[in-house]
Formats: sequence, C-alpha cells, structure tokens
Amino acid sequence: MKQFTIRRILIERGAESDSLAKVIPKRLPDIPKELVDSHDLALPEGTEEMDKESLRIIHHKGEFLKPCPGTKRYICCGYQILNIGINCPMDCSYCFLQSYINQPSLRVYTNLPEKLDEIGEYIDSFPGRIFRIGTGEFTDSLALNYLTGWTDYLLPVFSHRKNCILELKTKTSSVQSLLKSIHRERIVVAWSLNSPRVVTGEERKTASLRERILAAHDCQKAGFVLAFHFDPLFYYPRWDEDLEEPVRLLEKYIDPESIIWISLGSFRYMPALKWAIKRRFPKTKIFDGEFVTGLDRKLRYFKPIRIEMYSKLAERLKKWHEDLGIYLCMESGDVWKQSFGWSPKTSINLSRYLDNRVRKLMVG
Amino acid sequence: MEKNSLESTPVKIALWEIDLDPGRFCMSFDFRLEQLKASIEEFGVLNPPYLMEDSESHYTVVAGYRRLLAAKELGWSDIVCQVLPHGYPPFKAFLLNLYDNLLQRKMNAIEKAMVLQRLTRFVEHEQIITQFMPMLDIPANRQTLKLFLGLEGLEEPIRHSISAERLSLRVAGPMMSLDTKDRLKINELFMAFKWSFNQQWEAIQWIMEIASREGRSIEEVINEREVTEILHSNRMSNPQKLKTIVKVLKTRRFPSLMKAESEFIKGVSALPLPERVKIIPPPSFEGINYRLEIVFTKGKELKEKLADLYSLSGLERVTDFWKTSNGNVH
Ligand code: SF4
Repeated sequence: MKQFTIRRILIERGAESDSLAKVIPKRLPDIPKELVDSHDLALPEGTEEMDKESLRIIHHKGEFLKPCPGTKRYICCGYQILNIGINCPMDCSYCFLQSYINQPSLRVYTNLPEKLDEIGEYIDSFPGRIFRIGTGEFTDSLALNYLTGWTDYLLPVFSHRKNCILELKTKTSSVQSLLKSIHRERIVVAWSLNSPRVVTGEERKTASLRERILAAHDCQKAGFVLAFHFDPLFYYPRWDEDLEEPVRLLEKYIDPESIIWISLGSFRYMPALKWAIKRRFPKTKIFDGEFVTGLDRKLRYFKPIRIEMYSKLAERLKKWHEDLGIYLCMESGDVWKQSFGWSPKTSINLSRYLDNRVRKLMVG
Repeated sequence: MEKNSLESTPVKIALWEIDLDPGRFCMSFDFRLEQLKASIEEFGVLNPPYLMEDSESHYTVVAGYRRLLAAKELGWSDIVCQVLPHGYPPFKAFLLNLYDNLLQRKMNAIEKAMVLQRLTRFVEHEQIITQFMPMLDIPANRQTLKLFLGLEGLEEPIRHSISAERLSLRVAGPMMSLDTKDRLKINELFMAFKWSFNQQWEAIQWIMEIASREGRSIEEVINEREVTEILHSNRMSNPQKLKTIVKVLKTRRFPSLMKAESEFIKGVSALPLPERVKIIPPPSFEGINYRLEIVFTKGKELKEKLADLYSLSGLERVTDFWKTSNGNVH
C-alpha cells in the first residue's frame, strides 16, 4: 500500500468532534497536529502552492451528493459526485484542480460518515432511478484511503442499494482494503489509463500502468466489476502506438466480460488552467497540440484530431471485445457519430445507455 | 506602526560622499531628468533629499534619488540633504520614500516591482499582498506578487519595454521561464512593431509551443527564414509585416486548423455566390451551425439572391469543404 508524505495535520475548528477527525490523526501518530480556523490558510514559507503534504481535516458544511455539473453544450453522462474531499497527494501535470481549487492542502471531509444515512435515504426516495455515483472527481478515490478508511464506511452503504452503483476511480494500486471487504455488489473499481509516456511523464506519484492493471486484475478476481477511463488522451506523434501498451495489458490481465464501461476523453482545459500548470510544470508538453476554444469555453483539440483519437482507440478496444460500454466524456453528437458511427444525441440518452450497462452488469 | 515625528538634520554634503547607485531604498527606473534639471536650475532643490549615514561619512539615498542625479548632471559638487538620525529603522526610511513617491508621481510597473522586491526584506508576503499591493494599485494576490517579484530579474531592455508600457505585463510572466537569449529575442520581435497586448499574448504562446513541439529554441523559431524575411522586407509596411508574421506563426502553431480554414475559403470562393452573400462557418469548426449573411437593399433583390442560392449547385456540400481536405491532415 503506497503511503504519501504528510508533514502536518491541520484540524479545522468545528471538525474536532467528527468521528473521522479522531481516527485520522491516530493513524499518523508522529505527524504534528494543529487546530486551525477555516480562514487560516497561511502556508509555511517555501511550501508549494497546492500544499499536497498537509492534511486538512474539515467539517464540510455543503452538500455531499451533487450532480456532476457537466455542460449543456456537450453530451454528458449524468453522473453524481459524492464529495469526500478535495485535492490529492498525487500530482498529475494536467490536473484541473490546480486552477479549480483556491485553497491549499489535502482536504478531507470528516463528517461524511455522519451524513451517509441521509444520503442513503435520498437515494431510496427515487427507487425508479439509477444513481451512478463517484468519489473520484475532486480527489482520487483510494489514494488517502489508508488514512480515511473511506471504503470501510462507503461500501456497506452503497453495495446493498439496488438503484445505485459507487464508482471508485483511482490511479493507485491501493486495493488491499477493498479486497478485505465483504462488500462487492454495486461497487465499480475504475482506473484511469493512459500511454506509458503520459503516465511516467505527466502523472507524478501515481502507480505504473502495470501496477494499475494488476490491481484491477486482483479486484476482478475478487468479484468487483471494473471500469476504465482513457481520459485525458493526448495527441502527439505515435500516440496510437503508445496506447497499445495499456490495451495489451488489459488483454492480458482483464476479463472484458465484467467491464461496465470504458470512457474516452481528450485533454480539455479552462484557459486559467494552462497558466496554473505552466507555473508548476514549465517544461510540460501537454499544450503542444492544436487546441481551439470549445462551446463551453474550454480548450480542446481541433475536432478532426479528437475524432481520429476516439475512432482509432475505440476500434482497437473493440478488437479485444465488442461489448465494453465505450462512451465519450463531454463530446458533441457529431463527434460521437464520426468516431463511433452512432451517437446517443442527448445527455438523457447517454444516461440511459449507461444505466442499461448497470442493469446488465450488476445482477440482483 | 508607532507614530514618530521625523527628526532629521539638514546638512550640506559633497555629492561624492553619496552612493548614487540604485540602492536598497531606490524605486526609480526609466526616468528623464531634463524637466527636473530645468526646474532645479531655475529654483534650486525645493525638497531636500533624505539620506542615511552609513559608516565613515558615506551616505545612502533614502528619498530624492532623481534630484541627486539631476544635481550631479548639473555639475553641482554639494547639496543640502536631510540626514536621518543614527539607528533610524530602515523599514521606516523605506516607507518614507514610498509615501513620498506615491504622493508625487505615478510609478511604472518596474518601479512598483522594485517597491515590492524591497518590501520582502522587511515584511511577510501576506502583508505585502494585503497592505501594499492595493496601495500600488496592483491586484492583491500571490500570483501577481510572484510576477512582480520576478520583474527585476529581467534584462534591462525588457524592463524598459515594460516600463514604457510597450510590453504586456502578462507576457512578462511566461518570459521569466525562458533563457535570457530567448526572452531578449521575443522582446526584440515585439519592439519591432506596434503589437497590441493581445497579439503579444497570443504570439508568445504560439512561439513557445512551436518551440516545445519542434524541440527547438525560441531564438531558432524566430530566426526562421520565413520570419526574418518578413522582418527585413523592404516591400511591406510595418503593419503589413506584423499581420504577416502573425499569420505565419498561427499557421505553424495550428497547421490542421489553418488548413481547414483555407480549404473552406477556397471551397466557398469557388462557388458563384451572389454578390454581398457570405457563408460563415462556426468558430474553429467546433460547433455545427453555419451562418448565411445576405446584404440587400430591396425585397426584390433579396428574392433574386435567394433564387440564385436555391439553384446554386455545390451549396449542399458547403459544410464539408473543410472536412474533405481534413481526412488526411494528420
Ligand atoms: S490523480 Fe486525479 S486528482 Fe490526483 S493529481 Fe492526478 S488528476 Fe488530480
């Protein structure tokens, strides 16, 4: 189990009495702890701006379960985000959090366990609907699990509800606690995959491709349903040859029958992110491609480039297995059509398509 | 800060005893002394400069740096100055100069950078952000502070371009991450013509990204024959040169997009469209909606144009003009 460097624990006033706030510091007995106000954001001199080595324990006052904001201008998948914390101890050059968050440190919400009954009741109140829920939007679902024990209290809540799935999205290989858990139903374990060049060059402190796929293999053997996300894809000379490696590893270690979906998405970013990234990673080459302003103001690869990437990768994946639930993340109908030969046309239809994958893969 | 009345002594001091290099209190850059010299010649120095005595009758300028330089250029050998008492806190001396400057004139960006840089010796960044940046009319945040703190490290020609407001401050940020040679080359290119700040901003990104993609230095990208020929052309005016350089850089930065655009224009121009009729594609071909613009003065004219359009063969393929070429852009 990979452990990350944590240099200080900051407990925000108001969080002290949360159950998790008592547990986490005990798991890091030698790390200095400090009680701080929520507005006290000063960083020790010389600390990197994202401050990924401080763990801030927070009593979250906002909603925990929220629909993914998506965008009306592209087709979205209708996902729900379970907000367990924000920021992540790994350090991908392209991570959108670098311009999204305006507060430093790894922030975990310690009143989540206390809120789970409420969330469960909310889900139960829509028996006809399928909630596809993920925790990997603002942080990695498993990276800090060894400290927070997220899986210990999330799995029981979601695995016995028939109208939801919980997707744990990660770039780690930290699956030991999952493997020890008795809960399997309705839990999807998902990995972000990319070319070896992107993994080693842009995804700092993450598990290697091989480690990710081997962890996925272990989870599949233990009865978990899997998902994969080729997102963000980068266009550079011989990108397609490079993507052979993750596909080859999938072919070797994973049974395609229990993959619920594979998403493809190309690198896209809000203009402000570029400079946040360039400040932290001045030598990165991720902006070398031809980016144009999209309908949602994000910059994306020029359309024919995206279509080329999606169609080639989807074709390659389909050679492995026809029925992988491949979908595009935030793309337009014409890009779908030209990449795959079909399009869900609307976000509602894409939601239905993915809900049907849930029905098909999650028996019972 | 505690209130203290300023007790200084007026003393006549020989100019050679005063260190006239820009020192730890200096916040002046890129100034002209002509007007000041004329005023001093006529009326003398109205406000005496403030000095601080270092060891062995050697003085550091606290305030009045320009006045002292002007006096020196006028050939004065001595000048009456106010000398701050021994042990006068340097931070207070710095503030004295800062407030004096803020009252009297508008500071340029490099001078503001000098202020912020010198402040770092006395106070924490947080205090600079909350207290001093608003005073200097600078957006009060960490990133802007970092940008300003980096300005003094830029080479003199670049600092001159910034203080003269010919080089955008926004562009200075990315410049800091470049080698000296590269950023001087960019500065030279931007000073060659009147680039708007937006053009500078786009161009610096294109140049950096072309260099990154092609594994070459920025100097090499700018020294390319295509660019230098335009720079040295005798046939083009400066605005034409600028426009052509922008186009050359954009085409190198976005080869597929520019090819698609030119194919679209080629396709549309091959259509015998009625006069004053335009077909406008979605920006960067990202959306799917095209627009038709018809300019007319009479209803009859409109009807005729619509009839012409209706029977125009090839119009049904207009949305594919750029795609046909694009099947093999990569
Ligand atoms: S793993 Fe995800 S959340 Fe963490 S740095 Fe990378 S992109 Fe950001």
